[in-house]
Amino acid sequence: MKRKNGVIGFTCAYTPLPLIHAAGFTPYRILPNVDCPDQAGRLMHDNLCPHVKRVLDRAMSGAIPDLAGMVFMNSCDSMRRLYDAWKAVKPGMNAVLVDLPPVATHASIRFFRDELERLSLSLGHWGGAIIDDPTLAEGIDLYNRVASLFTTLREKAGRAELKGGSAALQEAYNRASISPPEATVAFLEETLNEGADRKEGEPGVPLFLFGNVLPEPEAFALFESCGASIVSDDLCTGSRLFSAMEIGNGDSLLNLARGILERPRCARTFAAERPGSLGDGIAAAAIHAGARGVIGYTAKFCDPYIARLPGVRDALQHAGIPLLLLEGDCSLRSIGQQRTRIEAFIEMLR
Amino acid sequence: MTAMMQEYFIGLEAGLEQAIREGNSSHRKLYTLELARLGKRLYSGSDTIAWCGVTAPFDLLSAMGVTSCFVEFIGAMLALTGAVGAFIEETDHQGYSSDACSYHRSVSGAAIKGMMPVPDFLIGTTNPCTGGLAVLENLAHRFARELFVLHIPQDDSAGNVRFLADQMREMTAFVSRITGRKLDKAALRKSMENSNRACGVIKEVFELAGRVPSPVTSRDLSNFGIVMPLFLGGEPAIAIAEAYRDEFRRRIDAGGHGKPGRKFRLLWIQNRIQFRHGLEKMLEEEYGASIISDELNDITWGPIDPENPFEGLARRAISIPFNGTIERRIDHLKKLARQYRIDGAINPCNWGCRQGTGARGLMENGLREIGVPVLNLEVDCVDSRKFAEGQMRTRLEAFMEMLDGREPLWR
Repeated sequence: MKRKNGVIGFTCAYTPLPLIHAAGFTPYRILPNVDCPDQAGRLMHDNLCPHVKRVLDRAMSGAIPDLAGMVFMNSCDSMRRLYDAWKAVKPGMNAVLVDLPPVATHASIRFFRDELERLSLSLGHWGGAIIDDPTLAEGIDLYNRVASLFTTLREKAGRAELKGGSAALQEAYNRASISPPEATVAFLEETLNEGADRKEGEPGVPLFLFGNVLPEPEAFALFESCGASIVSDDLCTGSRLFSAMEIGNGDSLLNLARGILERPRCARTFAAERPGSLGDGIAAAAIHAGARGVIGYTAKFCDPYIARLPGVRDALQHAGIPLLLLEGDCSLRSIGQQRTRIEAFIEMLR
Repeated sequence: MTAMMQEYFIGLEAGLEQAIREGNSSHRKLYTLELARLGKRLYSGSDTIAWCGVTAPFDLLSAMGVTSCFVEFIGAMLALTGAVGAFIEETDHQGYSSDACSYHRSVSGAAIKGMMPVPDFLIGTTNPCTGGLAVLENLAHRFARELFVLHIPQDDSAGNVRFLADQMREMTAFVSRITGRKLDKAALRKSMENSNRACGVIKEVFELAGRVPSPVTSRDLSNFGIVMPLFLGGEPAIAIAEAYRDEFRRRIDAGGHGKPGRKFRLLWIQNRIQFRHGLEKMLEEEYGASIISDELNDITWGPIDPENPFEGLARRAISIPFNGTIERRIDHLKKLARQYRIDGAINPCNWGCRQGTGARGLMENGLREIGVPVLNLEVDCVDSRKFAEGQMRTRLEAFMEMLDGREPLWR
């Protein structure tokens, strides 16, 4: 279902989806799990994030929908370089790079609010509707509804009652990231109305999954086939894209800016007054979800995560929660190679 | 461990002072002497210390009585002394990925092994890279010290300059709270005047470096543009810049600086290889080629108003070529190539540097548009254990032979 002004591509979980929706566009995530010839190496070094390179491969192969424009977030060096490379391979396409503060101070939130205003002007130039406070508040409300439904769906998956398990949940995330929120709400309500899928046999070991980009549903099926039950996640391609934010009164752009910066964070955003707190946050989330262990999955060369993983390991060790770290290229292939490690980890937790 | 470092810097300072006293002074010795003094202060145990990101306002911090330095300095220093391997290995043991930048891995290793002095506070900057900011967050956690983050916006639109200037004002309040020292307006004014004077002379240095033939050898201006900001605000920065200017003028006046057969003028993209190696010597001696310009050897900002410096300081941080989109960076590289009449450019593509290597193809294409070929190497600029000099020599030789076969680009 396309909205009247067409489709806007995006690549990062910090993208202000309600704003794009309020301008009359459908936000469409360019996920990295589409097989395309490896061409990004012509412009980017081998040591760049595979997420970014696979997204660029899609653009270079023409494996993207007809887009009215692309919205990039300046969330890390790789994403900034993706914007540069995208402009080079798609010179005729509208594209904007939205600056993203690394911390959520009062001043940073104001700054980000102004960046969102700049984005709304760009969307207007690309044929979008003029965005007013009520329309934007409505959009935020709608996405909060999506977030709320996903919370319920995650809980259902965590209880092992979702047909298809966490792979189906990931399918739902992927579908929601390329669909209008109205369609997502309808689809999620329908899924939630389906009866519980009672499974026979030994229950899976409850695990919490964190990291960045893992959109392959088969990867989740693999975890479950190894004996895991993914009870909750903190992934860019999972819960983080659809997490609720406070609407509040007054300036909706300011509320949106605050909501995006203050909701669950990827490693690139942190609290300067509590440096190194990423690990504590993951430990708390894992405990809250009732997980007996944590799997960390990061795409290779992701600076925000690789710099902080030793701290996460220490925090989980301190909390007495076992951790398995996996690294890959966002593809199933790279996860499949690690089946033995995953099985051994889960066996250890039984 | 820090006492050993202090001894090293004290010894280095004493040796250089003696050489200078005995009449064996040079522009490069003055520069190294100031580096030794900075190192000595950082490890003194008595100065107020701040570990920072590359684009922190060091002259503003200096005006507040703070000895400040970007953390990558430690990585470069360890590489230069040949000691970096043990520190990088330490990060391997601790679970840091070998895919990260070796500047940052060595800094982390130094902190883990007690080689980094504990700072009074830290100033993180979003420019130039995500990895650098992450390391400062980690160090703040390790040292249990407060961290202030400067978000450097992508361009110098009015709102962005105001945003960063306000952050810098807030930073001074943060520093005052920690040090108990208020910002002295007279000290700030003096610091800014010194910065402006030094930058004026540095511009002269770069203008002289661009003469044909160039008075510059490959080592002369190595790391100059990234290190000099550490000295800005003080008199030594002016003295060092003047020594460079006078030396280059002397070489030009003497007329003997253009060695017979010297033909090639090279531009070095990003940072130099920090450990000792033979490539620059090979370029000089076998091909008559000199690196006469480095990407960061440029003054990309205007004079800073000593009475109201914050907007000027903000513009300066935003203007650093690594900031913003690649179009801006390519425009700057093209400007340097034209200004210095560059024959070819070398990009080391430092392993682990996403902001740099992520755009290597675009930078190559951009310089090619004006006829300047680029050699992309595969180097870890800090970790000498990975350095395969023979392979690098072969690549450089082929590049130089290619340049030799071309019509001169600039007439």
